[in-house]
Amino acid sequence: MQRNKSQFVAVASIAAELSAVMEVAKEISLAAANAKAIAFRAGEKAKGFQPITDFINELAKETIQLVNDINEHALKLYRLTVQVQRTTDARKRFEKVSALAESATHRASLSGALQQVQRRQMQYRRAFNADVSELLAQLADVMHPARAARVIAANSRIEASQAGEYLQSLQAVAESVDHAAQIINDKVNRCRSALSAIRGMD
Amino acid sequence: MKMNKIYEGAHQWIMYGRDPHKPDKIIDTNQYIVRTADRCLLIDPGGIELFAPMLAAVLHHAPVEEITDLFASHQDPDIISSLGLWDQALPNARLHAAALWEGFLRHFGCETIEYVPIADHGGVIDLGSVDLQVIPAHYLHSSANFHIYDPQARILFSGDIGAALEAPGAPMVVDNFDSHVEKMRYFHQRWMPSNQAKRVWIDRVRTLDIDILAPQHGRLLKGDDVKRFLDWFDGLQVGIAV
Repeated sequence: MQRNKSQFVAVASIAAELSAVMEVAKEISLAAANAKAIAFRAGEKAKGFQPITDFINELAKETIQLVNDINEHALKLYRLTVQVQRTTDARKRFEKVSALAESATHRASLSGALQQVQRRQMQYRRAFNADVSELLAQLADVMHPARAARVIAANSRIEASQAGEYLQSLQAVAESVDHAAQIINDKVNRCRSALSAIRGMD
Repeated sequence: MKMNKIYEGAHQWIMYGRDPHKPDKIIDTNQYIVRTADRCLLIDPGGIELFAPMLAAVLHHAPVEEITDLFASHQDPDIISSLGLWDQALPNARLHAAALWEGFLRHFGCETIEYVPIADHGGVIDLGSVDLQVIPAHYLHSSANFHIYDPQARILFSGDIGAALEAPGAPMVVDNFDSHVEKMRYFHQRWMPSNQAKRVWIDRVRTLDIDILAPQHGRLLKGDDVKRFLDWFDGLQVGIAV
């Protein structure tokens, strides 16, 4: 039961963290649009900044797409968690029936249902573990754009320093991207830790 | 779990209850089966906590493949929250329950069992060698509520009507109606919401020939106590919490 409870908590916490990642990715996208407008106004002074804004926007889009995919996967994982919980509970109770019905005429008729629930429990557990591994790999993929965003943020600071009176605005964009990438990094790491913990329980 | 055969003819009625291992804080319930030669109907099979002792008890009378029908008088957890477990235990079963509650009851898990929706006007459960009448008892207490009448056995399974709040291990049959009334009064006044629904149900049930009134909590009412109960219930004001 404790294992199932931890599974539910882990899967629910992933959904919560991913929802936050999605919001942050949208903020990055907004920051990219803002940066593009500033760079356009700055003209030649922010020439080096303009391609960076496109890149930031692409990273945000990529993150949003990845998070959408992961969300679908997390939903599948939640359904599997319910199936694991139901079959585990049924198995436990069928075994109790078997013990209580020791003298019952038709006790043997339960054996088919008991074997079937054992098979289904194993099948769902295997599927659950395979899904956790896949989800961990997908979460690792989300880390790539987040890391790239931090590098871009560093480049953005350099380019911003050439932008004269637009320096402060463009630096603020760079800070915002850097901060958002850091948040994504932290949240995805938390998801990975939660998932690794339930995978380690088997 | 105590088992009492309450009717034996071409088919049998068996009552189960008073499980000594029931957790203290859950209400005691009566379950019934109607057993024919090759079929078995579980009536209000009970909550999750009761699943193991209940199935263990039923296995004295029927193998799982012959438990072909379940009936839920309404949607409450003490009636049918075990559905998800029966769903995994029974290879060929149907659940007869209110059409109104289908979307709700499926939350308990109903993938293998076929849901047979009962229309508001009731119907018949055909067990092959016996037809059981499904009697509407709406708003007593649930908004879609049914009882089962067996004309051969002259038994009315009456759900929460006739129920009593009892001490653990109480007898299965009412032996003194007058003293038993106090165990039923608050239950009916507080759980039953509608005097109009009560009158309609009493008028309907008075037309049936009943030897045993079999509620889901408390004790069986037999013989003259059935009429005594209907008269007492007729005069009782219900829906007292408003």
